[in-house]
Amino acid sequence: MTHAKHSQAMHFQARAAEKVRNPVLQRALQKAKPLFVGKRAKGMAALGEDGLEFEGLRSACVDIRNRVLADLDVWLAIFEERAKATGAEVLWARDGDEICDLVIDVARRHGVTKATKSKSMLSEEAHLNEALAAAGIRPVETDLGEYIVQLAGEAPSHIIAPAVHKTIHEVEELFAKEHGRPIETRTSADIPAMAREAREVLRQHFLSAEMGISGANFLIAETGTAVLVTNEGNGRMVTTLPKVHVVITGIEKLVPTLEDFATLMRLLPRSATGQTISNYVSLLTGTRQPGDRDGPEKTVFILVDNGRADLLGSAYQDMLRCIRCGACMNHCPVYFSLGGHAYGWVYPGPMGSVLTPLYTGIENALDLPHASTGCNQCGTVCPVRIPLPSLMHRLREAQTERGLRPWSERLWLRAWAWIARRPALYRWFARRAARYLGWLAGDEGRIQVFGLAPGWTEGRDLPVASNRTFHELYAARKRA
Amino acid sequence: MRLALYVTCLVDLMRPSVGFASLRLLEAAGCEVIVPSGQTCCGQPAWSAGDRAPAVDLAKKAIAELEEFEQVVVPSGSCADHIRNVYPQMLADDPEWSARANKLAARTSELSEFLARQPGFTAPAAFDGTITYHDSCKGLRGLGIKHQPRELLRKVSGLSLQEMSDCEECCGFGGAFSVKFGDVSTQIVDRKCATIAEVGADAVVGGDLGCLLNIEGRLRRRGDQTTRVLHFAEVLAGGDS
Repeated sequence: MTHAKHSQAMHFQARAAEKVRNPVLQRALQKAKPLFVGKRAKGMAALGEDGLEFEGLRSACVDIRNRVLADLDVWLAIFEERAKATGAEVLWARDGDEICDLVIDVARRHGVTKATKSKSMLSEEAHLNEALAAAGIRPVETDLGEYIVQLAGEAPSHIIAPAVHKTIHEVEELFAKEHGRPIETRTSADIPAMAREAREVLRQHFLSAEMGISGANFLIAETGTAVLVTNEGNGRMVTTLPKVHVVITGIEKLVPTLEDFATLMRLLPRSATGQTISNYVSLLTGTRQPGDRDGPEKTVFILVDNGRADLLGSAYQDMLRCIRCGACMNHCPVYFSLGGHAYGWVYPGPMGSVLTPLYTGIENALDLPHASTGCNQCGTVCPVRIPLPSLMHRLREAQTERGLRPWSERLWLRAWAWIARRPALYRWFARRAARYLGWLAGDEGRIQVFGLAPGWTEGRDLPVASNRTFHELYAARKRA
Repeated sequence: MRLALYVTCLVDLMRPSVGFASLRLLEAAGCEVIVPSGQTCCGQPAWSAGDRAPAVDLAKKAIAELEEFEQVVVPSGSCADHIRNVYPQMLADDPEWSARANKLAARTSELSEFLARQPGFTAPAAFDGTITYHDSCKGLRGLGIKHQPRELLRKVSGLSLQEMSDCEECCGFGGAFSVKFGDVSTQIVDRKCATIAEVGADAVVGGDLGCLLNIEGRLRRRGDQTTRVLHFAEVLAGGDS
């Protein structure tokens, strides 16, 4: 896997330790969480007003996504043919390096020196900005959140809210420096003014860039269309003003028909931001035709595999249904304790804990499938019913099968299980354990430092209610 | 009705009073309660770790010792979920064991859902004070346990239930997660403790000992020495065992 080299997912534990101790980050996250959860809940509660119902819609969305995945090659061929018929070029990339090569090649063919970008997580998979810069092409992120993280020299920490980890003061510092002005005291009331300031800077880039790069929320096979679901309007600038528009997206983003897309749109914005519909929904089909007032002269689709095809027909195929709404991370207690950067690669939260090992190598992300309490909040809100906890569980089993778990962990587990199969022996150990815990806990009934599980007592006491086991007391009672 | 009480390994080791309270409640509901003597652990820790072989061994052991009973009652949403939802899935490829797992699954209940199903059952206890209820994840999202413990608790004389905000939010326990990622787990339970503090109830009540140990441990570490942390069975049965 080419991108294992860019992944920091092996350092999850260390990063997590750093993130829980960062008060600025914690403030930003604690502010964001109720907004995400509350907005989605409100959006879903309002489904009834449109005569819709969550579980029924969900089933319809699952069916659409499964239908595509069952015959993905066929739908891709149809898309390619229809997209070419509208004047677009369709290119294929196996991995991130190929994405970069193709984009740079298109850029060189058209004399591009600057490219504006609307959000694209696939360009993050490819580390496209670095590659463009190295090739002498300036990438300018134009989604407000992406603009902020680009100024900070960071990666996005959330798939729909890239700068959710930043406080307003951090953003103010970045803007003051980039826009050449003194730092001011800001409150949330100043957000519109700050957005306007960014917009004015970005406008010049929109007008001068020769290339626009976007992702696509969906590709529609029957019409050869790319769909962009956005709230800021930058997507339209990026895809219509420059003479060249490059769409970079994963091969799994296909839906068969416009009708299917409309069904998925019922749940995508509601799951993501609670909106009935996003501020902008753009259906981009082909290049500028004679008589058109705007639109690119050249449209290029780069359809990317980067590990996706390997999931087809595998135990992880369900993951390919993902429509990137972010609801799983928005409802994840682990995500909101750490933010997205702790996960070490492009995708954070539960979907990231599944995708990162699958796309960068199971051996390169050992902690991620374990970084879950198993609460299944993610599985409950997922609009396409991806069983995220089950997929994480399969990855845990895959680690065991491949001998990737620490031997000490396996030894403990095997020894414990061996004893647990022998009730008399188990009782003997349990009695001794109860005595030991009772002795450690003393009169207060709690252990404050426990050498056998230091991870527990680092932040908590271990309450111990008895130095006798239930079975011991129960046997004594029966004898009495 | 002759039923088996599966006390769980955590109750056995950490808080026997939950087992005795369950026993008293089931007897009060008119059941003949057997505590199968060979029971140890349902095997969930091995399953969660991704170690399938020992998880399967312990599942088969539990099935063999519990399948003869008309009903199996478990005072834990997490263990009940493991028996009811995971065993059938784990053993799906083995025709014989799959049938036995499904049969046991159909007869297994979490304690509050079992008691709530018994016509005319009222808890024998009284409780003087306010409580707030924490919904444990596996019980809530795996078994649909939400109204059952509340209905039972509301009938306890003197008890008033005051809901905390985000009562369905995970407490951060997650079994081995709480030890493997102790700092993350602490961060999560700290938020739970903050919402508990907002309510200011006399006791936090829940249906899973893992969550309760986690919450109590953090409350005490934060300096709260007074808020009691109880299993609903302890509240319903009242007194000490």
